[in-house]
Amino acid sequence: MALCLPVGTTDRVSPLTGRRAATGRVAVRVLLFLAIAGLTAAVPSTGAFGHDIPSDITVRAFIKPEGQRLSMLVRVPLEAMLDVTFPLTGPGYLDLSRADESLRDAAMLWLGQEVSIYEDGTRLAVPELVAARASLPSDRSFGAYDTALASTRGPPLPASTQIFWQQVMLDVLFEYRITSDRSEFAILPGLERLGMRVSTVLRFLPATGGERLYQYTGNPGRVVLDPRWHQAAYRFVRLGFTHILDGMDHLLFLLCLIIPFQRLRVLVILVTAFTVAHSVTLVAATLGLTPTALWFVPLVETVIAASIVYMALENIVSPGLRRRWMAVFGFGLVHGFGFAYALRDMLPFGGDHLVVSLLAFNVGVEIGQLLVVLVCVPVLRMLFRFIPGGQIGKTGRIGQAGQAGQSRRIGAVILSVLAGHTAWHWLVERGAVLWEFDVLATTPDAALYGVAGLLVLMLIIAALAGWALTRPGRPDWTDETDRTDRTDRTVQADQAARADQAVRADGPDRPA
Amino acid sequence: MIRRSFIPMATAALTAAGIAFLAVACADMEVAEQTADADAVMAPMFEVDPLWPKPLPNHWILGSAIGVTVDANDNIWIIHRGNGNPSTELGAAQDPPVAECCIPAPPVLQFSPEGDLLNHWGGPGEGYDWPGSNHGITVDPMGNLWIGGNGGDDAHILVFAQDGTFLKQFGEPGARRAESFDEADPEWTGNSMDPGNFGRVAKISFDASANEAYVADGYLNKRVAVLDIETGALKRYWGAYGNEPDDANIGRYDPEAPPAQQFRNPVHAADPSNDGHVYVCDRPNNRIQVFRTDGTFVMEKVLSGNTLGAGSTWDVAFSKDPDQKYVYVADGQNMKVYVLLRETLEVLTTFGDGGRQPGQFFGTHSIATDSKGNIYTTETYEGKRVQKFTYMGEGPVEQQDQGVIWPSASR
Repeated sequence: MALCLPVGTTDRVSPLTGRRAATGRVAVRVLLFLAIAGLTAAVPSTGAFGHDIPSDITVRAFIKPEGQRLSMLVRVPLEAMLDVTFPLTGPGYLDLSRADESLRDAAMLWLGQEVSIYEDGTRLAVPELVAARASLPSDRSFGAYDTALASTRGPPLPASTQIFWQQVMLDVLFEYRITSDRSEFAILPGLERLGMRVSTVLRFLPATGGERLYQYTGNPGRVVLDPRWHQAAYRFVRLGFTHILDGMDHLLFLLCLIIPFQRLRVLVILVTAFTVAHSVTLVAATLGLTPTALWFVPLVETVIAASIVYMALENIVSPGLRRRWMAVFGFGLVHGFGFAYALRDMLPFGGDHLVVSLLAFNVGVEIGQLLVVLVCVPVLRMLFRFIPGGQIGKTGRIGQAGQAGQSRRIGAVILSVLAGHTAWHWLVERGAVLWEFDVLATTPDAALYGVAGLLVLMLIIAALAGWALTRPGRPDWTDETDRTDRTDRTVQADQAARADQAVRADGPDRPA
Repeated sequence: MIRRSFIPMATAALTAAGIAFLAVACADMEVAEQTADADAVMAPMFEVDPLWPKPLPNHWILGSAIGVTVDANDNIWIIHRGNGNPSTELGAAQDPPVAECCIPAPPVLQFSPEGDLLNHWGGPGEGYDWPGSNHGITVDPMGNLWIGGNGGDDAHILVFAQDGTFLKQFGEPGARRAESFDEADPEWTGNSMDPGNFGRVAKISFDASANEAYVADGYLNKRVAVLDIETGALKRYWGAYGNEPDDANIGRYDPEAPPAQQFRNPVHAADPSNDGHVYVCDRPNNRIQVFRTDGTFVMEKVLSGNTLGAGSTWDVAFSKDPDQKYVYVADGQNMKVYVLLRETLEVLTTFGDGGRQPGQFFGTHSIATDSKGNIYTTETYEGKRVQKFTYMGEGPVEQQDQGVIWPSASR
């Protein structure tokens, strides 16, 4: 009948890869490695021994506290278990009849030793390895906890299964002893060294019911699985802070705010207006009030780029403060959607404290923005001091000290041109992506109306507020702006007269 | 002062009015669409991704692409015949080279979901007989890749690990040579009863639950053959309508003639579904025949029944929902893909048209789906490419023949 060519045992020895062990656990790892090497050297056939670090690894895991035990189920590709020798047969099949011990060793070496679980802040002892099982890549049991548990605890693959060792999935069940399933649990995964890029899909099933899904790439640090409000707040403040400092487009928008107004008080108000606005849309987006249409994200990104171009142009043409805060508020609404997309996958890290997490994220963003302001204002003032033409005026506003002000204004124009130029390129690139979508052909959903209504409402509020503020009795800082604007006109007239005199005298422009 | 306060208010009001207008316009559209959608047939919708895959390195060029499959990690594997390209396409592979480009890419290529080339291998090697004309590639439940062949002597199946390690060969090349075989005048004869060899295998598919491989056997034989995945042992086989296969020549397809009681060559695909049925492409007969896994005939569907030449039913793939609600059929003669409701085999819509631009086809040969519902196709003859069609969700069928499903903004 069918011909199956004879398959013999093959030696497969590859050079060891030089991957660094975890700091502080080197000795344990070396001892374990030596033990495993010794064990595997004792078996008659050679096997897979070291190989390249895989480029892309996906880890699936479940964590479930129950009574006084916490179960952790993990599925990881066997090829990520470096430095472990697996018994092979034929052209490279995992020898399932002899693989059990090496699978358990690999599980302890790369998972049991690496993953740290904390109960109420105390690291739990190394877990008990309940089961380690080889499974097929086509196996779908890790779609849910119950099927994953049943499969991992179930009978092993038949020893006659011929599966190429690099295509094997390793399913592992660990159990930790815990005091109570209602304790606060945290995890420090430590699996980022399994591959060049390690994506993890972690599901936490708290004793109170439900399921919480965490998806992350690399190492997210210590994650409190069911955090208290202050833990969630701390994580999200940090997240907001790092996000604003990582986001080039948000930073450039901020810079455009700072360039013409180097007065801290005004900038703090502007930045806060920005934060309030993006908080509104961030919350809306988190509550699902955003269109599901594919074009929405490119639209938001395009408008963000447009907001920077607009700010830069306004800096160049007419840096009026009154219009500025309205524009900042309006664009803040759009930037909020941008923040929401950055935040979407991180929200499970806030546990049940959605509102706290969102507020904390905004606080983090605000702190980051204020830090940028605090750093940029003195730097810009110092920078402009070295530009020939004099000092910055008393109010900190460019253009108030005659020719000195004019020089500062030139400096501000140059910076704005650079910022605008960068944003223009983003605008063109993002606009091209947006252009690929047939926006009008999209079936509108309730969220689209929600967003449109929200924006209309916000703009009406902004318009009313603007109207109210332009009436007599408006806040002090707006008065100052008007004074500044008037001063500007005076200064411009003065500059024109001086320029006229200079031309007539045919003399060089002197520093003030 | 009045002017200054007016400008921001006017700007805000105009913006608000614009957004309100947009919302109203959208609402109007929704009402119109809901009216139109009341009786609309819903079907999965796709758009071609003109930027997938990314360009190949090393001046590599594809030949006729005659197989595509998606593994458990959503990586895409294709097989093609780069060496079969005319010398005008292989200037750098001539001896001596006549141009900077091109060189045939290795026969088996692995792409990431993003379209990056991840791995490549294939071709003759030690310990196995690379097909004279490789044909079809499919990943099995163990992650191995199975390859058939429709060259003159090809009567075997090869199995490789994902890194290109040779694992198994079932059947011997040359087994189908006629008794009167002469190198000067080669002749081969089908034998659909042969338990150990095949007759130019088109494609192999898998039933993981039963650990069985379904062989579309194929270009010389006229049967569906079911093998044990691990041993390759033949477990059962059947012909059209579940009949015992007969290799006698039944002549050319005639649309007016009664349905043929045997498959015509080639039997091009035999794919088991999740619910215990097998969908067989009887290509020149322009039909899909559905069987139970034991070979009992269930139903058939003729697609574009007037098609002559190479026929209309080239390959099948199922939608990735748990029920596999839809089945997609590649048609390399009419240059399109059919979207069928699997339960009834009703054609819901078709897409594609002849041509070489993205979304068009020339010899739509093979088809596969990934876990996200996206479709991948390869093209034979002078098509010589792999294309991705991004799943856009279910939508109302506005026209049964959609033509080229170009990205929507550019339609």
